[in-house]
Amino acid sequence: MDQVFETLRATAVGIPSTPFTVLRDFYAEEFARIEREFRASSNGRVATQGRAALLDRVILDLSREFLAPELNDLRKLCLVALGGYGRRELFPHSDVDLMFLWEDASIESRYREGTQAICRALWDLRLRVSPTHRFLSECEKFQPDNPEFNISVLDSRYLEGDRGLFERLRNRALPHMIAGGWSDLLRDLAELTEQRHRKEGDTIFHLEPNLKNSPGGLRDYHVAWWVGLISKMEKAGMWATPEDIWPAKALQDMDKAFEFLAAARCFLHYRQGRHDNALSYELQAAAAARGIGVENGRAIDPAEWMRIYFRHARAVYALCTQLLDETLPAPAKLRGFLGWKSSLLDSGFYVAGTRLSLLEPSGVHEPQRLLDVFRYVAKHGARLSREAEDQIHEALPSIFDSGAALPSLWSNLREILLAPHAAEALRAMHSSGLLVRLFPEFAVIDSLVVRDYYHHYTVDAHSFMAIENIHRLREAEKNWERPFANLFSELEEPELLFLSLLFHDVGKGMPCGDHVAGSLDAIENVFARLDLKPEQADTVRFLIRDHLAMSANLLRRDIFDLETIRVFAEEVGTPERLKLLCLFTYADIRAVNPEALTPWKAQSLWQLYVLTANYLSRSLDEERFHAESGDLQFVDRIFPLVSSTASREELASFLEGLPRRYLFAHSAEEIASHFPMARKLKENNVQLRIDHRRQIYALTLLATDRPFLFAGVSGTLASWGMDIWKAEAFANAAGVVVDTFHFTDPHKTLELNPSELLRLQKSIEDVLTGAISRETLLRGRAGAQSKPQPKVSVPTQIRFDDSSSPHSTLMEIVTQDRPGLLFHLSSTLANFGCNIEVALIDTEGQRALDTFYLTFGGAKLRPDAQEQLRVRLLAEG
Amino acid sequence: MRIEAIIQPSRFESVKEALHQIGVEGMTVSEVRGHGRQKGHTETYRGREYEVDLPPKIKIEMVLPDNLVDGAVQTILKTARTGKIGDGKIFLSKVDEAIRIRDEERGEGAL
Repeated sequence: MDQVFETLRATAVGIPSTPFTVLRDFYAEEFARIEREFRASSNGRVATQGRAALLDRVILDLSREFLAPELNDLRKLCLVALGGYGRRELFPHSDVDLMFLWEDASIESRYREGTQAICRALWDLRLRVSPTHRFLSECEKFQPDNPEFNISVLDSRYLEGDRGLFERLRNRALPHMIAGGWSDLLRDLAELTEQRHRKEGDTIFHLEPNLKNSPGGLRDYHVAWWVGLISKMEKAGMWATPEDIWPAKALQDMDKAFEFLAAARCFLHYRQGRHDNALSYELQAAAAARGIGVENGRAIDPAEWMRIYFRHARAVYALCTQLLDETLPAPAKLRGFLGWKSSLLDSGFYVAGTRLSLLEPSGVHEPQRLLDVFRYVAKHGARLSREAEDQIHEALPSIFDSGAALPSLWSNLREILLAPHAAEALRAMHSSGLLVRLFPEFAVIDSLVVRDYYHHYTVDAHSFMAIENIHRLREAEKNWERPFANLFSELEEPELLFLSLLFHDVGKGMPCGDHVAGSLDAIENVFARLDLKPEQADTVRFLIRDHLAMSANLLRRDIFDLETIRVFAEEVGTPERLKLLCLFTYADIRAVNPEALTPWKAQSLWQLYVLTANYLSRSLDEERFHAESGDLQFVDRIFPLVSSTASREELASFLEGLPRRYLFAHSAEEIASHFPMARKLKENNVQLRIDHRRQIYALTLLATDRPFLFAGVSGTLASWGMDIWKAEAFANAAGVVVDTFHFTDPHKTLELNPSELLRLQKSIEDVLTGAISRETLLRGRAGAQSKPQPKVSVPTQIRFDDSSSPHSTLMEIVTQDRPGLLFHLSSTLANFGCNIEVALIDTEGQRALDTFYLTFGGAKLRPDAQEQLRVRLLAEG
Repeated sequence: MRIEAIIQPSRFESVKEALHQIGVEGMTVSEVRGHGRQKGHTETYRGREYEVDLPPKIKIEMVLPDNLVDGAVQTILKTARTGKIGDGKIFLSKVDEAIRIRDEERGEGAL
């Protein structure tokens, strides 16, 4: 080829098409030869170097033809390869970045036509050439509007022409440009990388990744290279080699990753016959069958081949992001914590930039210290350094194989799941191997590719992303996200949602046909290691078992059909479970792919939620337990837990007429504990119990129905300064009331004086039996314990509804929450002559959201009575 | 002929499957909202009003050769009908020309 044009000149001078035809044939033959060699060796590095060499030869002869027969004579102009071509990594159909570097404008007119002819010839060869013309002086300056050029010139390589000019580019102009603009260069690089990663969902775990642009792909490999190159030049004033800038272990990992990625990308280009880097399912199968990038080139299963891909992508991504983090200033959110040096040192780790490193690797051999690392990551969003990840990985066998006692797993995991960066911590736990050590059930979905049209990510990445989607609701920006953000803030135990999301799809890695059944089996083993209460475990089981129910209703049912809502509401049972399921569905759909949760779908999901939530609150009067209507499955579930001599019939009699919501809202264990209280009413007609869980107190009251009962309890709690944020009042057919009040103790009266709990119980009993006047009690205490002025003013809304219940008038009231509010409301209702058949009391920030099912003289309230009641409630504030 | 059908989301999978069975493979699907006589209503939830007056619908668009049009229309009518208000509408219109972008083929061959 070196002499192609000379030969042509001798044989076919004057026939312009002839030299080009020969050149084209030569290029095609050489291209085919490199492809054949690749097919035999699957060596991507050799193939890309071969194509770069081929281009060098083509450009050499074109330059001789169109610029100067003796290129050594060429002065003040040189040809420079940039980007991948400059690095001699020219993939079969990649662009060819070519720079014509001019010393100044003095010879531009002489050679301009020749340079254009070279470009035309290359285009005629159907090469994707991107030529650029630059004066040397332009390369000395950082070009703020052209970050791509600033970066591509870092990989410049001499081709032809004035070698001295090129030396000045490499040894003076570019070092000068980097010295003046290194921080801007790094910032641009970080921004471009961050944008690219965000576009790709910030995960390497794509089911059909792009070998160049996906996180962990070849672009990240080069970012890691450029960061090192810029840093070395800035610090030492010299060009670096990979050995200079990458730690030895990382260098080895990166080298292997490049071999694999380069082979896979060459395979794609040759197979597709174009510049296509998308690794589709079909191409994964073909590459696996050919053993591309696999040791000895043996054929393997596509899923196994993708696991190899993810292993390499993980190494590239980890180094790329760590180098960017190390070279850029720490974000403000972490900067503050750097000052807490001593407490961090006590924990055995420190944070530099955004990366957490271990002070002493042996420290993480102590299990609680190990978990502390991830609790910190979850709380503050720091990422593990590569070294820390390796050190933790190496420490795991000595911790887990020694049989050492582990700290309380649930309290640690709960804290991680609830922290804002939970997903980051879980990814780090998974990446270091800790997650699978703690929960071997998770191993089956490690980098698992389940092929379908919609999912973009591996099953493990999907699960972490779903958890992240919930935490991101804290910063909801779009209008359609906000209702879900509000819902998240209302959850009583969000940790159960996160736990369910973590394990909901592990069944996909099991050899059973139904992944939900597999996940349910697996979660039982998880429960064995977590100290969950039975009702918490029930909620998690429900979420995993029914995690597709809401989507199925959205897609396959008419959600505006009352029957659809009725059936769905019955499946869900309680408002709390509905909230959890709605958020689960939101997070799960959104983690399928970036476009899966359209605003249309999100709004439809919210509509289904609202319709069902309203149905649950407005159908209580109709949806009641009736033994004769086949509700005995509830008895079957509860009776074995009853520790008394009572018969099934007595239990059924207690449940008769209670709203079904009561049966769903309380666990079988709780109901089994209410039943003996009901039996004791014969001895003492007020049965009371107060349980304490974390900051919440739960008061359960069973009594025979009487006027002012609800007002009496709420008034007493208010008089003690307790803040009622949720309450329910139900009654069975025999007139036994089952009330629950959830309250907090903002003044810590009960916490600091445990004996006061008994006095509080006594006060309630005294008020209910008439021994103390509730008005007196409230007057004595509430005034001194008033809440601060509300930050948000909530106008009072009162809505009556006669259509939801055949027996009662439903009254919904939304108003400003304040001390004693429930007492005032329930007293006004009692004074008006209303009986509270059912009450549902809830609080959202400073908004009280109360629903009462009322009767007046055993019937619904007439319209005029409703109006009078409204006026009275508004008048009494 | 161009067929535009607005149907209930819950009927979409059945309609798509039925259309495939009679040989209709290409279609464009959009998530839309709207109502005809069905109208909607406002739901109050926790004191806030949420409009559900534009119920979700699915819009299917197809351009078919004339010999497939009647079959497709009958299939949609049969499969999308629940008998309730809000089942949707079908609109038919003539198409002057169809051109496949990849190879510029025109007419029925481009469909």
